Amino acid sequence: MSDSAAAKAGLSRWFRRGPWENGAMILIGGGIFMLVQPWSIDLYSYSFITILVGTIGFMIVSHFPE
Amino acid sequence: MTAAAAKPVVRSTAHSIVEATPRARTVAGGLVILYAVITILPLLWIVATAFKSQSDAIAYPPKVLFQPTLEGYVNLFTVRTRQTPDFIAKLPPPQTWYDRLVRQRDMVIAGPSKVVPRFVNSLIIGFGSTFLAVFLGTLAAYAFSRFRIPLADDLLFFILSTRMMPPVAVAIPIYLMYRELNLTDTRLGMILLYTAVNVSLAVWLLKGFIDEIPREYEEAALVDGYTRLQALRKVVLPQAVTGIAATAIFCLIFSWNEYAFAVLLTSGEAQTMPPFIPFIIGEGGQDWPAVAAATTLFVVPIVLFTVVLRKHLLRGITFGAVRK
Amino acid sequence: MIPRVSEPAKSRAAWRVRGLSDRTIAWLFIAPTITLLLAINIFPLVWMIRLSFTNLNLSMSYLPLRFVGLDNFIDILTDEEVWIRLQTTAQFVICSVALQVVIGFGLALLINRQFRGHSFWTTIILLPMMLSPAVVGNFWTLLLQPQIGPFNSLISLFTGVPPSSFSMTGQVALAPWTIVLVDTWMWAPYVMLICLAGLRSIPDYIYEAAEVDRASPWRQFWSITLPMAVPFLMLAVLFRAIENFKMFDMVNLLTSGGPGSTTELVSITLKRAAFEKWRTGYSSALAIILFVTVFGAANIYVKALNKVKQR
Repeated sequence: MSDSAAAKAGLSRWFRRGPWENGAMILIGGGIFMLVQPWSIDLYSYSFITILVGTIGFMIVSHFPE
Repeated sequence: MTAAAAKPVVRSTAHSIVEATPRARTVAGGLVILYAVITILPLLWIVATAFKSQSDAIAYPPKVLFQPTLEGYVNLFTVRTRQTPDFIAKLPPPQTWYDRLVRQRDMVIAGPSKVVPRFVNSLIIGFGSTFLAVFLGTLAAYAFSRFRIPLADDLLFFILSTRMMPPVAVAIPIYLMYRELNLTDTRLGMILLYTAVNVSLAVWLLKGFIDEIPREYEEAALVDGYTRLQALRKVVLPQAVTGIAATAIFCLIFSWNEYAFAVLLTSGEAQTMPPFIPFIIGEGGQDWPAVAAATTLFVVPIVLFTVVLRKHLLRGITFGAVRK
Repeated sequence: MIPRVSEPAKSRAAWRVRGLSDRTIAWLFIAPTITLLLAINIFPLVWMIRLSFTNLNLSMSYLPLRFVGLDNFIDILTDEEVWIRLQTTAQFVICSVALQVVIGFGLALLINRQFRGHSFWTTIILLPMMLSPAVVGNFWTLLLQPQIGPFNSLISLFTGVPPSSFSMTGQVALAPWTIVLVDTWMWAPYVMLICLAGLRSIPDYIYEAAEVDRASPWRQFWSITLPMAVPFLMLAVLFRAIENFKMFDMVNLLTSGGPGSTTELVSITLKRAAFEKWRTGYSSALAIILFVTVFGAANIYVKALNKVKQR
């Protein structure tokens, strides 16, 4: 196997959809939890940005190949 | 013969969820019927309240048995003024049964109430937006189903996501926009808004229905020299008719029931029934028999539609994803 | 009969003559829908994003329109009041969805036994979810009236508590449970219907195999029924959670946020800020926060939807 092919395989392994999508979903879910949890107002303050990043991230990574 | 003889044996040994024993079935049936009866009681109470007199409706303790009267319906459709008994005695004898009913309460009918225009608004806005949404939805669903469209999944998600947005949040910019365009409190404005909300459901549902029609039919028609449009009209649409009807009923139910946009964006001219019903006021607070009468009339079409839609309900509430 | 066009060279030309190309048709068919959604949804949304950076107040429109940057967002995200409304909303979502799942899944298991007349009774059970939430909220206020409503009398019949001694919509301790109760009455059938589809999607041979292995019905439930129904359950839970997160109509008419602000869900807060205090800039920012939250959740919902579709 040539180097470039190996590098390509490595790249496509990195940009597989599954784990990234799960990560984005955890970010969205975590953000929503931060938004509504009753314990820390600091978590609440940073909830929106977390959800925003998670949502935009999800829209990007859902276009990665399977 | 042998198969028929073997069947009861299999059934008697079965004790799993696949084949419930007769006793398990009876118990299950009993519990479900109990829940159904409890769940329907509030509705029955409202239907009954519509036939109560004002005093029976607010009696304490609540009356289960009462003398039925049509007063609630009469009050719903009329505006009345209270008069002295002397004044009423001097009037010519009542012409109609509802005149008589009202005069028993020392009142005379002053004119029709606003309920008919509100009902007409509900009908016009409901049917108008349904027609538009189904028309646009059929075209788009056909395109999504049959042609390769770049970024189809993203477009479909975009279409669906517009329906999931919180209505109060959507209403803020719409309110400002309609104010600029003079569409506030107009039927046209409400029809456009409801069409936009319904079209997403229509596209998703109809795409599911059209996906199920085999492409071979159209391809045969194309080979026979039909154009795409002819094939759509003469081959696909006749096959999709049930799906289109089911979709239309779902859209109609949404527009019929919608409250948030209606209450925030209309006040008179284009007001539909849902924001109107809670404000049917009698002397001192809500006129409950009239409210109940309005609710009954409002709900009856929905009950009929539910029965008609029974088979397609599951599709409708999952945007066509679950097909049975 | 229209003559068949068989030669490939001719057919291409014939396509042009006979009608529009597939590509053109595809775009012609999709364009009106997209245009409508752009006009009614996206354009206002973009406008709202712009407004969320301003101090616009419609009741004081004589004030000069000022660009305030992220102030509205910072205001909301450090405001304990809004935070508490969001917590109230979350409590409502969790309690009502949990109750609906328990009742809905239970009913689905029972109905799946296919007793006689199950179709008729299922239709009866489904009725509440087809009604207008606003009308439901309105007529439940009658049913829950302490004195003239039948609910309190029914409770007193079973428990002996005098009917006028408590008010389901007027008491701080009871009102949150009232909106959960009415919401469950309305939407448990929704969960039931989807769970029923999940149960019916499980092929019989799996149970037959379990039968051969002499797995107990209890075991079968935990190792076959539940895992196989989970994707459907997820679908129902996600959709109900999103819907209840943005709940406005039913609660607005049932308690209108009261007593005090015990049942004030975030949509009601938003409505008050936007349409009673007319703080358009501020409420636009709050609306965008809710938008993004629902949009994020909708992404997950559509993923769940596609998962079920593949089954």
